[in-house]
Amino acid sequence: MRTAQKQATRERVLCAARDLFGRLGYEGTTIREIARQAGVSVGSVFTTFASKGEILSQVMQDRLDGLYAELDRVVPHLRGPTADRLRTMFAIHFAFEEPHLRLFLSHIAATYDWTLPETARPFGKTPRLQQIMLECLAKGVELGDVDPETDLQGVVDLLMSAYAWTYRLAAWQGADAKTMTEVMDRQIGLIATGFSRQAVAVS
Amino acid sequence: MKHVSPNDVAGETRVKAPTRRALAKQQTRAKVLAAARKLFSEEGYEGATIRDIAAAAGMSTGAVFANFTDKSDLFREIMTADMSSLAEAMRDAAAKGRNLEDSLLRAFMAGYGFYKTRLPLARAAFSVAWSPEEGQVLRNLPPVLAQQELIIELLNAAVERGELSQESEVKLRGQMLFDAYLANYNQAIFQGWSLDALQARARDQIRILLSGGRRG
Repeated sequence: MRTAQKQATRERVLCAARDLFGRLGYEGTTIREIARQAGVSVGSVFTTFASKGEILSQVMQDRLDGLYAELDRVVPHLRGPTADRLRTMFAIHFAFEEPHLRLFLSHIAATYDWTLPETARPFGKTPRLQQIMLECLAKGVELGDVDPETDLQGVVDLLMSAYAWTYRLAAWQGADAKTMTEVMDRQIGLIATGFSRQAVAVS
Repeated sequence: MKHVSPNDVAGETRVKAPTRRALAKQQTRAKVLAAARKLFSEEGYEGATIRDIAAAAGMSTGAVFANFTDKSDLFREIMTADMSSLAEAMRDAAAKGRNLEDSLLRAFMAGYGFYKTRLPLARAAFSVAWSPEEGQVLRNLPPVLAQQELIIELLNAAVERGELSQESEVKLRGQMLFDAYLANYNQAIFQGWSLDALQARARDQIRILLSGGRRG
């Protein structure tokens, strides 16, 4: 019974936080408001989550689960050169995040948050996203358009930093998903020249 | 402590020998900055309060506010000082490089070496740099822009020497190099990577980012 109650509180807090973060942004939302909207006391928010950062981490994780479920459906059907498969994956990401850009920035900032417990998954610790890219590159090695000598994790890190950087265009220059996708496409092109196996003709 | 009027501050720049009052003000500022640096490192940007900083400096919050407008002002001042020294160190390091790749790697390593001893502060800085409110200010500090400018200069010089092709997307490539440089701090801060490990990773990344633009 107590566990069920705790679970219900958790759900209500997350639901309220999702709504408030979306409307007011992460910075503009207080734990007090989350508690009020969830209809629970501030104290019981804190018995469920250690900090606002941890709530954000959980909200993002739940959202991203949806995104990755979609990618799992799409990725096996992708054809063509590795660079294009990467481009498609990131285009899906930008379209997905476009309505929540400020929230996503907070998600990136949370990588450096003091108060987060080990279990939290801010942007810098998203194993799923990195896994998807690694698989995409490994497939490229198999198909012959990625040089097998390439440090694949190094390429993933480059893609991650390029992906994160692109959000700054949106946050501070008002770029939309289309613009971000175009910029990311160029960056992927540049990275791809570095990992492509030029001597081997892809047929 | 006596109140120092803006006129006295303006006077500082004209008079060669600083007045005793100006000296005292300088010492106060230095004390506050040292305390702030310590607390930002220990508590993070959000966690450090002006009150704690004042206590650590052994003065009242009023005395802190007489010298700095708010917490972001303090943080900006610390970062400006660090970033200026770093920009210079990167430029010196890059000048010793044998070619573009080597110069970039040396510049990056100057950065990792500089921050190796102050990773908690670097962590606070990254946290601020990504915050929707303060991020843009920090990223646009003149010495931070100078570091990006250095990378662009190195790329342009390589185009002139014929090391890179003319159409090598210098601006985008420069931005990506700088972002890759910054992103590696994540490994340094959270996974305790050694300078050697950072160097190996940075070298691979620089090679990948340069390869498309290379001639021949």
